[in-house]
Amino acid sequence: MSIIIFVVILIAAWQFFYWLSVDMLELCKSYAVPSPIGVAERFADLLSDGSLLKATGNSLLRGIAGFAIAVIIGVIIGLLINHFNYLQKNLKPIVLGVQTLPSVCWVPFSILWFGLSTKAILFVVIMGSAFSIAISVDNAIKNILPIYTKAALTMGANKKQLYTYVIFPASLPELVSGLKQGWSFAWRALMAGEVMTTSIGLGQTLIMGRDLADINQVMLVMLVIVIVGIIIDKCIFSVIEKRLLKKRGLAA
Amino acid sequence: MALILEGLGKHFENSEEATLHEINLTIETGEFVCIVGQSGCGKSTLLNLVAGLDKPTSGKIILDGEEITGPGADRVVMFQEHGLYPWLNVIDNVKFGMKLAGIPNDVQEEKAMHYLKMVHLEEYKDYPIHQISGGMRQRTALARALTLDSKVLLMDEPFSALDKQTSNILREELQNIWQETKRTILFITHSVEEAVYLSDRIVALSPDTGKIAGLVPVTMPRPRHVYAPEFVEMRHQILEIVRGKTI
Ligand SMILES: Nc1ncnc2c1ncn2[C@@H]1O[C@H](COP(=O)(O)OP(=O)(O)OP(=O)(O)O)[C@@H](O)[C@H]1O
Ligand SMILES: [Mg+2]
Repeated sequence: MSIIIFVVILIAAWQFFYWLSVDMLELCKSYAVPSPIGVAERFADLLSDGSLLKATGNSLLRGIAGFAIAVIIGVIIGLLINHFNYLQKNLKPIVLGVQTLPSVCWVPFSILWFGLSTKAILFVVIMGSAFSIAISVDNAIKNILPIYTKAALTMGANKKQLYTYVIFPASLPELVSGLKQGWSFAWRALMAGEVMTTSIGLGQTLIMGRDLADINQVMLVMLVIVIVGIIIDKCIFSVIEKRLLKKRGLAA
Repeated sequence: MALILEGLGKHFENSEEATLHEINLTIETGEFVCIVGQSGCGKSTLLNLVAGLDKPTSGKIILDGEEITGPGADRVVMFQEHGLYPWLNVIDNVKFGMKLAGIPNDVQEEKAMHYLKMVHLEEYKDYPIHQISGGMRQRTALARALTLDSKVLLMDEPFSALDKQTSNILREELQNIWQETKRTILFITHSVEEAVYLSDRIVALSPDTGKIAGLVPVTMPRPRHVYAPEFVEMRHQILEIVRGKTI
């Protein structure tokens, strides 16, 4: 509840500064500063012609698809790194290094390899999140209490049982936080990918706003990107995370 | 036939001296043996070797004629910290070992309930682990260990993290369960009182040399009374050995 009031205050302050700087003191030109009313108008326009929904839907689909592939790749790399000492020593530092690359750095490669296509966008998304997921998988498994695996071994667990009945459930809460972080990387990478192509999506709508010098549209799209990101984080990942922790008596 | 430790030694790579040295010990089937010793003398190391969680640097361990090469369900361990799985409730934790062994569900259920009753936890079977007390957790771990009918039950200070009163109740119950189920138990403790109370035989490790400092049979009839003169006498005797005063 308090956050809603806070947001209302923020919007009021925004409107006030717009009015002060553009209308009153004429410090800025109206095309350079978005206003709450202007953004709301653009929102109504783009909503009524369906383009905003279409762009959001397209972006979400791409984000989810890219993220799903990144999860598969990240989990495999993470498991390999965790399991083989050789890879732990030699591959992990490289993965850690590559993971620090901002996702835009993958754009040139993706365009050269895939052209201005959806594939190119997916490539950026995957590269932007798979490595961080790999690192979280490795860390999540490492942080399991040794007694969990010891107990299972002395009860006769084989390798496969150890992974399915102990390592997987034991690392699950941390795994979910890793995926949550992976998703936020994927979502950011998606925007980096989308702004370079012309296929319909939030990133492309953002660039269109710039090309039309429509600052309100730019602002609107930025807000939608933030809101979608928050919704997925709070309504999916955080909910699962909390449930897992609560079941184990670890939630605050 | 039973559990035989033959010239067993353990020298950790990063330590100067061997932690365990020439340990020779035979534990008979059905016997309750306690290993006592001061902190850091190598009790857990010894138990881990028998459990197969660690490898000896010399000697070998033979169980029913077969040399031990790794961990297995014939030597279930009960640890000081319960080692229960927080994502499973009480009864599913108890069933865990049986699930690994591929035992049919109805048998799992029946056996789990049998041992839960034995440790007085049948009413708590659906509780999550974090909602039961420390004593109940150790009871759950005991029930879980019992379901596997292992040849030897290994216990590494299972009651030492509990308050004195709870730990006294649990050792009494363990004794009853042992008499009822006729298991072979290798029990580690730093409490000489606990050892004298429970054991058929006490193995005292020396505080510094990593060797067995004394092997003392305990023949007092059960249940034993900690204030009985014999008990006090024996306790004193073993304490001396553990402290390295007599060999
Ligand atoms: N993995 C290891 N690497 C190196 N040294 C070890 C390792 N594990 C144990 N030790 C050493 O071996 C000695 C015995 O340790 P151990 O845990 O067996 O003692 P303990 O008798 O069980 O003590 P406590 O009563 O405190 O549990 C200690 O000096 C310890 O530092
Ligand atoms: Mg110990």
